[in-house]
Amino acid sequence: MTTTATEGTERRKKGPGALRQTLRLGRTEFTLFVRYKTALMYLIMPVILLLPVLNQESVPILGEYTTTEAALVGTIGAIALFIGLGHPSNVFTARREALVLKRLRVSGVPAVAIFGGVFLVVLLFTLLIAALIIGGSIALGGPLPSDPVMLVFSVVLGCLAMTLLGLLITRFVSNAESAQMLSMVPMMALLFLGGSFIPLDVLPDGLRQVAMLLPVAPTVEMAQAGYFGYDVFGGLEGAEPVGLIGLWAGALPNIGVMLVWIVVLALLVHRYFVWDPRRP
Amino acid sequence: MTATANTTKDTSAPHTSAEPAVVVRDLRQKYGDFEAVKGVSFEIRPGELFALLGTNGAGKTTTIETLEGFRRPSSGTARVFGQDPYGQPVGVRERTNAVLQGSGLMEDLSVDETLALAADLAADPRGTDEVLTLIGLTDKRGLRVRQLSGGQKRRLDLGLALLTRPEVLYLDEPSTGMDPEARHETWRIIGDLKRDGVAILLTTHYLEEAEKLADRLAIMHRGEIRVEGTLGEVLAGWGDRVSFLLPSDVRTADLPELEGAEVEVQTREQRLWATYTIRGGDVADRAHHTVAALMAWAGERGGTLQHLQVRGASLEDVFLQVADGAADLVGE
Repeated sequence: MTTTATEGTERRKKGPGALRQTLRLGRTEFTLFVRYKTALMYLIMPVILLLPVLNQESVPILGEYTTTEAALVGTIGAIALFIGLGHPSNVFTARREALVLKRLRVSGVPAVAIFGGVFLVVLLFTLLIAALIIGGSIALGGPLPSDPVMLVFSVVLGCLAMTLLGLLITRFVSNAESAQMLSMVPMMALLFLGGSFIPLDVLPDGLRQVAMLLPVAPTVEMAQAGYFGYDVFGGLEGAEPVGLIGLWAGALPNIGVMLVWIVVLALLVHRYFVWDPRRP
Repeated sequence: MTATANTTKDTSAPHTSAEPAVVVRDLRQKYGDFEAVKGVSFEIRPGELFALLGTNGAGKTTTIETLEGFRRPSSGTARVFGQDPYGQPVGVRERTNAVLQGSGLMEDLSVDETLALAADLAADPRGTDEVLTLIGLTDKRGLRVRQLSGGQKRRLDLGLALLTRPEVLYLDEPSTGMDPEARHETWRIIGDLKRDGVAILLTTHYLEEAEKLADRLAIMHRGEIRVEGTLGEVLAGWGDRVSFLLPSDVRTADLPELEGAEVEVQTREQRLWATYTIRGGDVADRAHHTVAALMAWAGERGGTLQHLQVRGASLEDVFLQVADGAADLVGE
């Protein structure tokens, strides 16, 4: 055997870096997601959500575009709710209990790469379903996305916030089954206040304001704005088409709310995430 | 505890002049009112294997978890390469690795995929083919981890731990579940790592494993180190036993007093047995002197020592005594 054991840090080769480690773990997360049949449930759930959305009464609301089209696009903002909240909370609890997370940490992999890997798989499958929804919308006569960057950005923000929330849930459960149960609570609450399942316009003003401070409704609005090019940030009703700058300016409060959530959730995960199944 | 006896086994580590890679000073770990670790101190130098033995719940794993960076000490310090290991900081995490008490493998990956992932995440990994050969799993490389036996998983755990070329290695019961052949192969690998200068902390339930591998060892009980030293030092303090059937015409008071040995008479199977316990002195020949003196005594009486038994001290004796709660095994 050869070794570097007696060499100091300065003589050791430089490591692959957290970014490359994240991408590498993302690749393995993809393999595991595909092999883990339960994970498919999180892909099917947002598709099931589309059914009641498509059955709503359809009236024109954004120029020629109807409430059904707006709701359909709005579901893009809610996909991360299922995959991001459901998948990481489930598999990270199971992996912690099976010492998989601890094994990764003791071999020198930083926490950010381990979390980053699962974020990447959440993002990938969320974008995949978003692409399917947009493809379907275009096939049904919808327009091409007006601002694809805002659309993708809304998905990234949603995936980040939901993945972090999913990771935080692992703190409060001791097995994958209870993780699934507990994650349903914020999942359902955020779904009903997310603006895709029930349009926020029909909610009382106070509740609508609360919903806009939660981490799903802002991304639903951004997805609708990015897709249709309408300033929907004050509600769908009466929204006007705007240019790119107007669109982003209107989105700033939503981006701000999401960033605050992401920072707070990241700090909470950093502080409270448990790597070790042993409890005193 | 200190022991003064010479030892017959060369237990000096090959790199003892080097600075310790691991230093633990008066480590305490409390969970609420319960103190799991009560003031433990030790250090491990490059090329040295320090074995931490003890009953379940003695505090061994909590001590290792502190060094691995998962627990902040309640008081006292743990240092790895001079750094606080809590949170696995840069400068520690890329130089250490571990075999955990449980396996920690992703069951849905194949053996090959598991090693390839670990190699891609590491700075300067050994080749995966080399590791597979070392752990004897080359013919299992295509199997999913969930298809491996318990012992094979344990070998893969060891493979992952040595793949990153660690300078400090924590082995928490590494050979549990292995068949005897795999265990001996594991010992050979650990021996090679020691020779390469790796500082190793080992916990094990197999006392033979500690006897074979440890340069120094400590026995923990209820959060404290009760006995510590080289194997020779620990055994020197325990003592050898010489027993024989007490002749019917000999009273306890008639037994000869021998220097460095204590005599005790016990009833076993309705007969009286005399047992001399010899502590201190040179482990190599202390029993010989006692037996010689007893033979001479028996010869003078014109009789023989019936059912004569000479039993050297074993780590198991020391361990069992500690587990029973005796703290003063090895005198100052």
